[in-house]
Amino acid sequence: MKKSFWKTPETLFSLTCLFLGGLGFLFLGSLVAEPKVLFGRSLTAITPTLFPSIVLTFMFLLCAVQLVLNFSAKTQGDGASGLAGWRRGAVFFGIMTVYALAMVPIGFIISSAITIAVLSLFIGNRNIVQIIAVALLGPVLLYLAATRLLAVSLPELNGIELAISRMF
Amino acid sequence: MIDFFIEGFGMAMRIDTFVVMALGLFCGMLVGALPGFTTLMAMAILLPISFFLEPIVGIPFLLGIYKGGMFGGSIPAILVSMPGTGAAVATSRDGYALTQKGKSRKALDMALFASVFGDTASDIFTILMIFPIALLVMQFGPPELFAVLLMSLIIIAATSGSNPIKALIMMLLGLWLASIGTDPLGGVERFTFGIFELKSGIPLLPMLIGVFAIPEVAKVVMENKKVRQLATVMGERLTFREFGASFRTVCRSTVIGTSIGIIPGLGQVVAAMMGYSAAKNASPTPEKFGEGELEGVAAAEAANNAVNGPTMVPLLTLGIPGDNVTAILLGAFVAQGLRPGPQLFEEQGAVVFAILIAMVFANLMFLAIGYLSIPIFSRLVTIKVSVLIPLVIMFAFAGTYVFRSDSTDLLMLVVFGVFGILAKAAKFDVMPLVMGFILGPPMEYAFGQTVAMTNGDMAGFFLGERWGATAVLMASPFIGYLLWKRMQRVPTD
Repeated sequence: MKKSFWKTPETLFSLTCLFLGGLGFLFLGSLVAEPKVLFGRSLTAITPTLFPSIVLTFMFLLCAVQLVLNFSAKTQGDGASGLAGWRRGAVFFGIMTVYALAMVPIGFIISSAITIAVLSLFIGNRNIVQIIAVALLGPVLLYLAATRLLAVSLPELNGIELAISRMF
Repeated sequence: MIDFFIEGFGMAMRIDTFVVMALGLFCGMLVGALPGFTTLMAMAILLPISFFLEPIVGIPFLLGIYKGGMFGGSIPAILVSMPGTGAAVATSRDGYALTQKGKSRKALDMALFASVFGDTASDIFTILMIFPIALLVMQFGPPELFAVLLMSLIIIAATSGSNPIKALIMMLLGLWLASIGTDPLGGVERFTFGIFELKSGIPLLPMLIGVFAIPEVAKVVMENKKVRQLATVMGERLTFREFGASFRTVCRSTVIGTSIGIIPGLGQVVAAMMGYSAAKNASPTPEKFGEGELEGVAAAEAANNAVNGPTMVPLLTLGIPGDNVTAILLGAFVAQGLRPGPQLFEEQGAVVFAILIAMVFANLMFLAIGYLSIPIFSRLVTIKVSVLIPLVIMFAFAGTYVFRSDSTDLLMLVVFGVFGILAKAAKFDVMPLVMGFILGPPMEYAFGQTVAMTNGDMAGFFLGERWGATAVLMASPFIGYLLWKRMQRVPTD
């Protein structure tokens, strides 16, 4: 099925880039700080806005060219994933966002165990024993490997950290 | 150079380097053997581990993943016609046909031997060539450096897909994202919106994992495929005579792969396709290609693995990553305090040679590990994605966090993941974005230095004594155009 020009991912993506390029260029003066000046002379040979202004101008122009090409080619949509696929993608990224926000407040092990369990169920795993085993063993083993073998820190609640340090 | 080589040889002979490299090879083969999982994803996710190891241990670990992953990708390609990597697409043509004939063991052995030969030969070429090239690069001043960086970006845009305009848009987006933070010349803030976390710019690691690994995982989730296919290793092993019969093809493909590897942007997929096409054209029985010809497997595998070594030449001498995998390697070098470029050879020549020598030894280990473990990795083809994906996500988040212990990086990871999947849906390749992001700051710096050299005159690139820079700047669009035209003729499926 042929989609309308405006609804194709290519067009929407190009439009977003065009919009970003245009806005960035228009507000360049307020988005970039004034160059440092010593005795009335700039300390650098080029102003800090020069390079971004070249980049944003070309980006704007190329996005415009791409939009014209999309329009003249009457591009068809990707259609590979479909609406159901995008819904699954949105849920997937929702889970990841919650994971990113929860990792520091509730610790790596708990947040990872919950995320693994939820993701496993979401992807279609119905083997409860397997889900529990992976959700518990995975984060604990990775936490031990990172903190004990590589000596790097992962966020963890004080109580859990203390309990683990007593065991290992 | 000889001194550096001898010193580097001594540095490479460390038991921990070999152990970690073997682990990397194992991880690479493991991930490569899983349909839907790529070497790139494995490298992006395991990159942070290398930061906490010494350079001579951490970088060979990543190289092990790279080499192992390239071969690992050929296992599902041969057994279930499902290439684990893009480069294994050509392998699947004859490999799967051989499996259907009950000769999967021969196909896998041929893939292994051809991969190891191609890789080793190209690594030796790299060791021989890299220092003379570095000596030449040491003569470069800011105008030449800017010209070469610009040429690399144009070549990458021209070769990254069928639409160079899309690639250029992504590259410019990458250059713009690179300008967020503190200006490299004047030290003033740009595009930070007053957000403290953006003052030091966008960190490379969340971007790499976000745009390379997360979209691959998201694609599997969105397509909702539950892959469980029967895969068995059948038939007799490859004989020496059979390998000897394909030796000319392996050598030809090695030369093709090595030549392609040295040019930024082309990569393994193009090498594999060109190696395969060349073997088919040279064969007295081209009609057998695609029907289960061992030479077809040998041609594709030798060519795609021969790319591995030479991609290190632009990376180490100029700091230009030739493809997305070397972009990740660049991240590892920078995190280790080794800034690729001509100075690296003056300051850390022995370390460079140690890493290159380790690459050659990795191939020998690769041969042994691959030969013994083909049946094990073949079983992985049937593993459940619902078990793997949550673990991959956990690794991605943990890896992102440990680098700076900053929770903002986790959100950046999600943002870049969303961006990556949207770009994929719109058929915009993310590789030029990453290249632009990496090469943006040195380019701007070289540009600023050139203008400073000529007291603010923008025509500094076109001065008589800078004829090299002028020539490269003038030639870049033509080279880009020719490569783009050439790419249109390479079959990709």
